[in-house]
Amino acid sequence: MSAEVSATTDIKPAYPLRHLNKLRWVVLVIVFLMLVLLPFLHLYQTYVAAHAYDLLSAPERRLYDVMEWLTRPFVTDPATDLNAIKGTTWSGSLFGVKLSDPLAVVGQVSAGLDWYWPFVMTALIPVAVTVVFGRVFCGWICPATLIYELNDNLASWLRKVGVPIGRRRLDRRMKYLVLAAGIVLSYITGAVLFAAIYPPAVIGREIYYAVAQQGFGVGAVFFILTLLFDLMLTRRGFCRYVCPGGALYSLLGRFRLFRIRRKVETCNDCAKCNAICQFGLDPLHDDFGQECNNCSACIAVCPTDALKFTVSMRDVPFQGPGHLGRLYRKQAQGSGT
Amino acid sequence: MKRRHFIKAIAGGALISLLPTTGMAARNQPGLRYLRPPGSLPESEFLQRCIHCGKCGEVCPNRTIKYFQYQNGLASMDTPYIIPREKACILCMKCGEVCPTGAIRRIERKARTIISEVRMGKARVDRSLCLSWQGKTCGVCYRACPLPDIAIRVGRLEQPHVLKDCVGCGLCERSCIQMPQAIRIIPAHEG
Repeated sequence: MSAEVSATTDIKPAYPLRHLNKLRWVVLVIVFLMLVLLPFLHLYQTYVAAHAYDLLSAPERRLYDVMEWLTRPFVTDPATDLNAIKGTTWSGSLFGVKLSDPLAVVGQVSAGLDWYWPFVMTALIPVAVTVVFGRVFCGWICPATLIYELNDNLASWLRKVGVPIGRRRLDRRMKYLVLAAGIVLSYITGAVLFAAIYPPAVIGREIYYAVAQQGFGVGAVFFILTLLFDLMLTRRGFCRYVCPGGALYSLLGRFRLFRIRRKVETCNDCAKCNAICQFGLDPLHDDFGQECNNCSACIAVCPTDALKFTVSMRDVPFQGPGHLGRLYRKQAQGSGT
Repeated sequence: MKRRHFIKAIAGGALISLLPTTGMAARNQPGLRYLRPPGSLPESEFLQRCIHCGKCGEVCPNRTIKYFQYQNGLASMDTPYIIPREKACILCMKCGEVCPTGAIRRIERKARTIISEVRMGKARVDRSLCLSWQGKTCGVCYRACPLPDIAIRVGRLEQPHVLKDCVGCGLCERSCIQMPQAIRIIPAHEG
């Protein structure tokens, strides 16, 4: 037994899944940078359309030059060609394909009680992806996730320094209540209210306002409040307990095909996965559930590579303590003698 | 605080917010006069459709489209508007192309379709302010109009007459040299 242990720990085979979390960070950063870049491109387009390079102020001219240098390899006529990518993660168009957040569709349908099919279809791809992969939007694309995770890193650091940080647990079913209340309120008021409290929509819009409109608006204040909520009350509290989009994605991804699973044979009960999981899930006891956003941080942190993606409609029930852990060994000895 | 009490408090808050539904439409700036982008649905349907994504503003080449904060009530927060005196619509129709929900309808950029489909509002001349009507030949509104002799025509001394096909783009109001402007767009949702 001990020989086996040393064999697995001494010779570490390459475990590509471990790097998935890095890839996720790259994706998150790219999405966020795109959200920053697009409003600048919009400004550049308006300068091009105005045909007034000579009349631009110095900073405007600098922006013009930088954007021209960035886009020249890809476009011939910036005023029209750059319209290929527009919008935010809330609703955007990519080379003629319009994509919308399923929550936008839910909100719109509940506000107007009518189905506008061209719009409903724009959520088709996101819904399909969610049904197969679960809450991946939350973990891999959402521009708010990037900031919330950095915020959580800040929280850990503050905790280390000695500042008391809230780590309360609330009821995670609360977000479904928010989703339901949002639907009802959208119907009553006849306006898509989710847009005002859904962080990815707020962030995309606020960056656009800050760059190309009048500056940050009300949404920025709201977003800062959510950051404080996360920092002072609960870890990643907004995503876990309030976010209506998270609720919708959780419901859609309830029977997702790809999910992380603990290989009990190589688990050593170190519980690092539970500590790293910002959503407060319990990989150590095989409890991932519909809330898991496939962020794969637990895979990256697992010292014995006991966590991996599997294709399955359901989580396995608790498999008992990890076979490399002390508890399992004690139990084995107990039953052996 | 117990979880039960917390949830009760949240539910209570939601219920309270249900009560003043008229509060959603309450405007902090009652005198505010604005247009919706060209091809927009009538106001209440527009609000039901608009998902506040901001794409119409992002394609607007003239930076005409701006977004409400809370001036016009919570229901129209982050919805697009146009104040023609500040920046008027050049009727490029790109906002309708990019709108995902059809809150701004897609309208072909041709004089015929624009005249028949677009109704942002209608221009009205204040003859006591208008220079031409006061005897000083001006005619700037007519020169600014993208649909001359269809939306507006001029008579003696360049006195403007608004015709029935005015779509309300606001370029006349934007260009009026009088202060305050002698020609204004009366928004479609006010009429």
